[in-house]
Amino acid sequence: MNILDIRNLSIEIETSNGPVRVIDKLSLQLAEGEIHTLIGESGSGKSLLAKAILGFINPRWKITADRLWWRQYDLLALSRAQRRQITGRDMAMIFQNPGTYLDPNSTVGEQLRESIPSHDLPGNILTRRKQIQKRAEELMHRVGIKDHDAILESYPFELSDGVAQKISIAMAIAHRPKLLIADEPTTAMEPNMRSQIYRLLAKLSAGDGMSILMITQDLTAVIPESKRISLVYCGQLMETGPTEDVMREPVQPYTGAMLSTSLFSSETKPKSRLPTLTGAIPTLQHMPIGCRLGPRCPNARRACIEQPPLRSYKKHEFACHYPLIEVDSHD
Amino acid sequence: MIYYSLRRLFLLVITLWLLTIFIFLLNYLFPGDPLTNMTGIRAGDEFAYNIARQAYAFDQSIFTQYWHFLEHLLSGNWGQSLVTQRPVFDDILPLLGATLELSILAMLISLVFGVSLGLYAALNLHRPADTIIMGISLSAYSVPVFWLAQLLILLFAVKLGWTPISSQINPLFDIDVVTGSILTDIVLSDVPYRAAAFADALNHLWLPVIVLAVMPLTMLIRITRDAMLDVLQKNYIRAARARGLSEARIMLRHGLPNAMQPVVRQLGLQFSILMSNIIIAEMIFNWPGIGSWLVKSIYERDYPVLQGGLLTLAALILLVNVLVELFHAWHYPQVRKELYAER
Repeated sequence: MNILDIRNLSIEIETSNGPVRVIDKLSLQLAEGEIHTLIGESGSGKSLLAKAILGFINPRWKITADRLWWRQYDLLALSRAQRRQITGRDMAMIFQNPGTYLDPNSTVGEQLRESIPSHDLPGNILTRRKQIQKRAEELMHRVGIKDHDAILESYPFELSDGVAQKISIAMAIAHRPKLLIADEPTTAMEPNMRSQIYRLLAKLSAGDGMSILMITQDLTAVIPESKRISLVYCGQLMETGPTEDVMREPVQPYTGAMLSTSLFSSETKPKSRLPTLTGAIPTLQHMPIGCRLGPRCPNARRACIEQPPLRSYKKHEFACHYPLIEVDSHD
Repeated sequence: MIYYSLRRLFLLVITLWLLTIFIFLLNYLFPGDPLTNMTGIRAGDEFAYNIARQAYAFDQSIFTQYWHFLEHLLSGNWGQSLVTQRPVFDDILPLLGATLELSILAMLISLVFGVSLGLYAALNLHRPADTIIMGISLSAYSVPVFWLAQLLILLFAVKLGWTPISSQINPLFDIDVVTGSILTDIVLSDVPYRAAAFADALNHLWLPVIVLAVMPLTMLIRITRDAMLDVLQKNYIRAARARGLSEARIMLRHGLPNAMQPVVRQLGLQFSILMSNIIIAEMIFNWPGIGSWLVKSIYERDYPVLQGGLLTLAALILLVNVLVELFHAWHYPQVRKELYAER
């Protein structure tokens, strides 16, 4: 059952050149306990989508959707306070550069303890404090920190990025959320720590039935536990589907390009140039009309000035007029 | 932290030492006889003058002279006033008390109101409250102290008659000067009309305190507002919101303490500015503090007094600045780390 159901979500922001749709009819479904990886270059609107789910969108921006549902709640119909309540209770987020997301002037312990909901604990203030302390240590163990006493007493600037991220995770799961959004949690981290964090997240998802929306920049960061992936370009959904299917048989040219950029891709012969998309992601002021990949797409033709509808091929869905694989047209 | 404190204190000692050299050299730079400038004993009083000549080693080299000068300085023998013939050091303590009373009260008021108004402005960014607070603070900052003091005297003392024009207390209340701080002296004294005297002293006090508080107040408003706006943009505030903490908790535990960091660092500087304003304010309000005493000594060419006042004010400013720095480093662990790193 899908706990998060997004259909045709659009976000329009005001720029000096008039309104720009930074997210354009994006759809995303997330099942309970599932890890879903969202892939896109920087500026593709991944983080904005995360903010939209959490409800931290600038109120001046226009946000429309056919459906933006969290379990049985229509998030767009809720008031700010109700929204905040759901976010605080059911959702959590971790970020890249975890060190900057911790208050530099209070200890890790203080910040972890205040993230633990205390109102449902029995007893008076004194016994509660003990329980909270116990729970804090338990959380530290769950994220794989063994010398909890030393870490709880230290300040954020005394920690490495990896440990800071583990503490962010501990704080995020303190209230047992149903959904964890991990926004490039391992960017700029050494490979060892990176795989530790990924393994930790996979373990937490499997153990608690917590859904994780993993946001990342490249396909190499997709972990095996991720059941589904979605590729986003400039706020438009390019391709989505079960991870293995998409990796094996990319239909959208963007997916193909992303896969072949990987250094370990078997199709690239040694000493040949890596096939990449030319150019760079367009700026907000110069969004192409129609399919936004158009100007960089090797397959682009005239029809691409119209936004292609989402079509399905086997188990995945994609949006392209001229896919890499011959697909029977249903229209 | 210990290493840092020691280094700061060592620096303080060095600065004070340089200050004494400067004060010593002043005796030679002022017109007239250096020994008279230093001790306040005139050459006409031959007996005393010759004793002082021996005591200050004025027949020997200038280094020996400095050494003896320093010895006298440290043992509390700061010479005597050329005008009143009273020992300078004994006069300074009550004067210092009066000045500290004014400055501490002014600093407290500017801190309390400056920080709260600054926070209020930051939390109501670009709303009318913010615009009004910032507008008033900018115009108040632009008003010179001497003019502001006279305007307020004209309004509150002359037109409205709410408060006396000058001095610490009505002289009819015969309060013994012990510390110089009038409120403390009233509490310490055992006169039967203490309550009335206290009320009268407060009535004298509030106008100069407000005049002095305006400048640091307006600066603290701006600093606090900027610091708070800066902190509100920080990732850890957003993360705290994402964790579902209450807004009040976010502000009190994460917003305010972090916003106070640059404010604390500015306090020493604000105190220095306050000290230069206090000289003017004491003159205008005829307040028996170090500032007015210093200015009077300049008019009277009373060099021993001038030196004593200069030394006290400069030492006070230095001391407050060092204390603020030590508090800043002690209270903000991140600062401490930067200090370690630079070692």
